[in-house]
Order: sequence, then C-alpha cells, then structure tokens
Amino acid sequence: MSSFLGEKYSRYWQDFEVYGEATEIYHFSFISMEFRLINDGWRNAYENMAVDEAILMNNIPTLRLYKWKPSAISIGYFQSMEEEINLEECKRQGVDVVRRITGGGAVYHDSDGEITYSVICPQEMLPRKIMDIYSLICSSLAQGLAYIGLNARHEGINDIVVNGKKISGSALTKKYGNVLQHGTLLLKVDVKKMFSLLKVGKEKISDKEIRSVEERVTSVEKEGGVMDEGKVKEALIKGFEEKMGLKFYEGELTEKEREDAEKLREKYESREWNFKR
Amino acid sequence: MKAENGILKGELKVRGGKLIKCRMRVRGSVIEEIKFSGDFFMYPEEKIEELEEILKGVEFKEEKIRGMVIPFFDNTELIGESPEDFVTVVSITIKNLKKGEKV
Repeated sequence: MSSFLGEKYSRYWQDFEVYGEATEIYHFSFISMEFRLINDGWRNAYENMAVDEAILMNNIPTLRLYKWKPSAISIGYFQSMEEEINLEECKRQGVDVVRRITGGGAVYHDSDGEITYSVICPQEMLPRKIMDIYSLICSSLAQGLAYIGLNARHEGINDIVVNGKKISGSALTKKYGNVLQHGTLLLKVDVKKMFSLLKVGKEKISDKEIRSVEERVTSVEKEGGVMDEGKVKEALIKGFEEKMGLKFYEGELTEKEREDAEKLREKYESREWNFKR
Repeated sequence: MKAENGILKGELKVRGGKLIKCRMRVRGSVIEEIKFSGDFFMYPEEKIEELEEILKGVEFKEEKIRGMVIPFFDNTELIGESPEDFVTVVSITIKNLKKGEKV
C-alpha cells in the first residue's frame, strides 16, 4: 500500500473493526501529516528518555532517531531493576540503566550497535486501538527496511522480523493526549555481552543458550543489509513516508521541550524512579 | 517492597511469552503488600499502582482476589495478557505460602 493523496489533503487514521489483517479507512481531512524529523545522534540514557517524554508532552508530531552513549539498558515500566539487571556488571562495563515510561522488556542499547526511533504524535493521527498503532508503525519500519536490502515484516505484538528472527522491538504509551512509540533497530548484536548485563536466572550462560538466542535475534549486519547509518535512517524515513503518508521537515527541540527534558532528566536519573519496583 | 523475610514470590509465563511476577507480604490471611512486575503491557501504565493498592488488606482467597481484579480491568487495556492472568499469578504466589516456600 502506498500513499496516494495530494498535497492538500492528508490521510487520517481511524480505528475500525479488524478482521484478520489490519485494514484501514481513509477519509479526507485537513489534519496535517507533517512530522518534524529530529536526527538526534548520541545522548545518555536519562536524556534520551527525558527527551522522548518532553516531546510527548508538547504536541508536535515528531520522528526522532537517536543513539545511546554510554551504552545502556532500558527496562520496561513494570520491571524490577534488581530482578532484570546485573547491576554490578553494568557498573563495571560503564553501562547506564534506566526505567522507561513504556511497558515491555529490558533492552540493551549498544552505543554503536543500534538505532532507536521514537514516533510521537497526537492520538487522533493514529488508530485508536493499540494493536493497530503497533501494526501501522511496525509495518512502516518493515517497509523502509526494504531500502537497505532486508525483507522484513511485522510479527506478534510489536516485533519486526527478518527471516523469522527479531531485528526490532518496540513499546508504546498514550499520555498527554499523545502517543509515543519507541523502539530499536539492531545494527549489530553481541548476545554474549547482552547476557552478561541481564539477569537470566543463571550465574553462567552456556554456549547453547547463547546460540539459542542467536537463533531468534538478528541484526542488519547479520542479514547482509546496508550498514551505513545515514542510509539506514533514510530507509526508515521512506517507510513512514510511503506507508503512513507522512511528510517530514527537519527540526530541533523547542525551547519549551528542552526545559521540560531538563526537568524530566532528573526523574530518569533518580533512584526513586529507576528502582520503584 | 524490599526483598526480605516473609516475602512470597510467584510468576506466570502467559501465552505469547510475557512474564508476570508477583511479590507479596502477608499477615495472617490477608495481603499486606503486593507488587507486580514483568515485561507486560498495560494502559494506562500507572493503573498497576492502583491495583496494588486495592489488593492491600484483601483476604487471600482466589475468589476474593478475582472479585477485586476482574472488575478493576474494565477501564484498563492489556496487551499480551488477560485480567485472569493476574488472578492466576496471585494464586500461584499464595500457593507458595501454603507450601511454606517463604523467600
């Protein structure tokens, strides 16, 4: 499916009953599908989560592409830091840890091994049902990945798979009248390192278990996709343009968003937030 | 809830792979404090804190728990798990008490 609307009108997504594969209806409205593109580079874990929430608070439809430095682990809103993460090892390896405002599982964000995206916009620009939002955004990303030579598709709740292996995971929340979906695209994957940082129930991980995860998880590198970061980002953007009919303009955070992010950073750095469950 | 003596733990892997964990402190036959954790999805997320609050002081019988938990989820969207899964994980945790498996 590709976008076919003229410049004057934009597509407006609405929810509907889903029978099998997600369907969508179009109706013409004056709601703009213009999105700000923030090509954000590296930030630390606390800033990254603060910036996502600051944008979520401020109603500007945005696609943000970013990375993490130092490498970090983010845990889902409902997870327990102590139960999920080998904190000593993270400290030893200089890996930050942060709780997200979104649910889901723990994710290792390697500073050079992945690109993170966040899609943030008013709820009325997206389907109302959460599963339909996942479907729309994940299938846009999957479509974009074709441009770097990958045959990807949306699978399960919120995974993107290539050759049956997971290459991207995501999570979303609805707050302040807006939706935030953020997720990762694995460029390279080091399962051994990932396991050293996460608690997986055993002191020592066997080679067999590492192989088992390697059989389920893949990366752009492993699948022989184009590794150039600029080209990967372009591909993701094209996916959103084609599938959702978005039009992008390059932009930065507003002053208000910067101020909000600065305040929110304190929350994400706090023990109270990170160790709340 | 800090991990200390008298804290019960239980967990449930739901169909589709999400994990719901439960930690609970009990006094007599009632729940004194309860926390859920895991890689699940619930919208709005903060409702989990409300659920933990309303279960405080509830007698730990499965039907009592179910009577609190099921109606609670009327206004809450779950993806990947069901209200009944929360009842089940509480029941599993309570069974650990009956088996004397205090952590």
